[in-house]
Amino acid sequence: MLYVVQRIAQALISLLGVATLIFFILRLTGDPVLLMVPQDSTAEEIAVMREALGLDQPLGLQYVEYLGQIFTGDLGRSYIQNAPVSDLIMDRLPYTIDLAMAAFILTVLIGIPIGMLAALYKGTWVERVCMPIILIGQSMPAFWTGILLIMLVSVQLKWLPSSGVDGLESLILPAITLASLSIATVARMTRSSILEQLGQDYVRTARSKGASTMRILFRHLLRNSSIPIITVLGLEFANLLGGSVITETIFAWPGLGQLTIQSISARDFPVIQAVVLLGASFYIIVNLLTDLIYGWVDPRIKLRRDAS
Amino acid sequence: MRKSLLAIGFILILVLAGCSVAKQDSEASNDGTSTKDRTLVVDLTNEPANMDPGLNYNFDSFAVYRNIFDNLLSRDPASGEIKPWIAESWEQESETVWNFTIREDVTFTNGEALSAEDVVYSIERILDPTYKSPQAANFNIISSAEADGNIVKITTEQPSPTLLTTLVNLSIVPKDYVTEVGNDAFNASPIGSGAYKFDSWSKGTSIKLSANADYWNGAPDIAAVEFRFVANTASRVADLQSGKAHIITGITADDVPTIEDDAKLQVFSTPTERIGFIAFNMIDDTPTKDPLVNKAIAYAINYDSLIDNLLNGYGTPVTQVLTPLSFGYDRSLLGYSYDPEKAKELLAEAGYADGVTLELATSQNFDQRVVQAIQGDLAKVGITVKINLNDHPTFLQKVQDPERKWGSLRYGIWSCSCMDADGTIFPLFRTGTIWSAYTNPEYDALVDAARATTDPVKRLSLYSDALKILEDEVPGIGLYQVHALYGAVKELAWQPDAQENFFIRDMSWAN
Repeated sequence: MLYVVQRIAQALISLLGVATLIFFILRLTGDPVLLMVPQDSTAEEIAVMREALGLDQPLGLQYVEYLGQIFTGDLGRSYIQNAPVSDLIMDRLPYTIDLAMAAFILTVLIGIPIGMLAALYKGTWVERVCMPIILIGQSMPAFWTGILLIMLVSVQLKWLPSSGVDGLESLILPAITLASLSIATVARMTRSSILEQLGQDYVRTARSKGASTMRILFRHLLRNSSIPIITVLGLEFANLLGGSVITETIFAWPGLGQLTIQSISARDFPVIQAVVLLGASFYIIVNLLTDLIYGWVDPRIKLRRDAS
Repeated sequence: MRKSLLAIGFILILVLAGCSVAKQDSEASNDGTSTKDRTLVVDLTNEPANMDPGLNYNFDSFAVYRNIFDNLLSRDPASGEIKPWIAESWEQESETVWNFTIREDVTFTNGEALSAEDVVYSIERILDPTYKSPQAANFNIISSAEADGNIVKITTEQPSPTLLTTLVNLSIVPKDYVTEVGNDAFNASPIGSGAYKFDSWSKGTSIKLSANADYWNGAPDIAAVEFRFVANTASRVADLQSGKAHIITGITADDVPTIEDDAKLQVFSTPTERIGFIAFNMIDDTPTKDPLVNKAIAYAINYDSLIDNLLNGYGTPVTQVLTPLSFGYDRSLLGYSYDPEKAKELLAEAGYADGVTLELATSQNFDQRVVQAIQGDLAKVGITVKINLNDHPTFLQKVQDPERKWGSLRYGIWSCSCMDADGTIFPLFRTGTIWSAYTNPEYDALVDAARATTDPVKRLSLYSDALKILEDEVPGIGLYQVHALYGAVKELAWQPDAQENFFIRDMSWAN
């Protein structure tokens, strides 16, 4: 219990750190007012706009106000869209969750089996088929995979829509694009952690007892190699939830990634701050959950931590 | 064993529990229903920030909301001349007082009549500082607007030659409705008097409009429109090829062959008042302080090759930092043409016979291939160009910093949506504006005077003199007039105009 409380306290401190960093970094990188006014504005007109947005205040004061807002759960108002940031995020979050879930399911269903096969059949043709798939996934950037899929599936074959959100069929291409990198990461991790276990004495013992490969795999190997796989899955999931700028941009998918890139190019400070905080929260929560799952999968971990 | 599988299963269940794929109406495709009922699908580059005309300042917003609202005045698409629209006529009472007569047969789509009061309100809310309108800077020449019957009397602080061009961009909002529901509700559910009515907005995805059958200027041909937001150019082109969209905006000359190779598609293009230009830093201590160096650069650039090879011909040569569409363009000026030998001579004369290194500032908003072409041209005459590329906000902050430490030259595209020299050469070169890196009291006096009189003959002569100074001292070079490009299906008929208006009422199905 104490462990959980400690972890939550750590999480809150991390979030405060993120909030502070993003606040100051943003203000070093450009002025939203210059982007909002007509290009032939005068310096006075720009000053009026800056005052209206409260950006003329000393930075320290702005920072204190911002922290105060966060603690009262107020994420502020978008400069550009002139709407509460929380509304903007709630409009986008469901789409990002849909896409993240779909990509995550593909990652688990494809990444883990490929990794297992590549490990178990190391040195055979199976590995020679699996490894290039992993390699391709790893080395093709999303903007390339995405466009290739659109050209082939949407433009040539006309099977699936090229962009937008018209139900499930619109989800397929972005999910594949987004998953291709995660699949490679998860498959590689699965392969290496199973290979590591394969050399262990208990596997040799099990083999000498005449246990089948499948039995060894499911009975012993998976369990013993699950910790790194779960870690990687957790990180990939947090990554997916943070919104994917490139995939969402290519497929015009209205998720958080698209909101992020729009807000960054307009220097819409309140929105960027909120999206970054949200992304950091996802990471922290997923990490917390993964830690708790460790303890459940492998009781030794929990004991060790409680003792310390 | 079971536990590890359970762990994975647990995550999967969490995943599935939250999973809900939003199902949306699928939009009209190219087949099926008769053309009259077909929804026109438009791919825009970005989502409009909001639907309130007073709070917007970019093409993607104009493209949508100007279909919902009427503007006070319009321009003839062919000649660019300012024409009546909601104001059926106007007269100038004095240098600073204008009277506009408002049409009496216009109603908003909630049934209420559009009156002079609504016009006054539409101006006043932009001028109200608490409303934070980004357009305030364009309108603050107006000191008062009053309604009297169907007459709107507008008084300007000083004689304003560009008042009419500003009012071409003024969208009329319904005063009673806006004051009753408030700005937020108005933005969520806008009501105007335009040819189209607002139907719905799925955030991040699309905005849908339908035709206003009772439009005062006749019901439009296209029954419904869906504006989608597709940031990636290749994706917009793919949408067009796959039949997902009927017309797409924001394409480049590179996309033209792809579109033209497709028998079902066509390209719409027209010259605009946008100008591709180079501006020199003549304030900071750099070699470009010397007009000789700038002249050398002006002779070193191969304009024709730039237009033919990079822009695939979708650009027009200019002789000044202004397009022929703008009021004030002086046809008697010859400008500079490609002459690398002359460039080398001028450089030697300026004391840089052994070459010189210059820093060029630019932003990701502009075509970087143009920058590289210029870099290549200048290298041939002994000028080494160091490109300093930033994203747009950083570029603006750098270039607009009063210290003017941004390097020697910068490349950009300029448009004032006003088709007047005042909107281009004033902000770019008048001493003390946020952009100008040039100072010349004689020039300042000319552009100031041209801004303070409404007499067109006087203004033309003032601009002619001002442009001659720019030609002699070369604080900037006009590179080319930008052409607007749109990709569309062949069934769509439309004539785009120089103002880059995107009125769906001007489009129709060709078959």
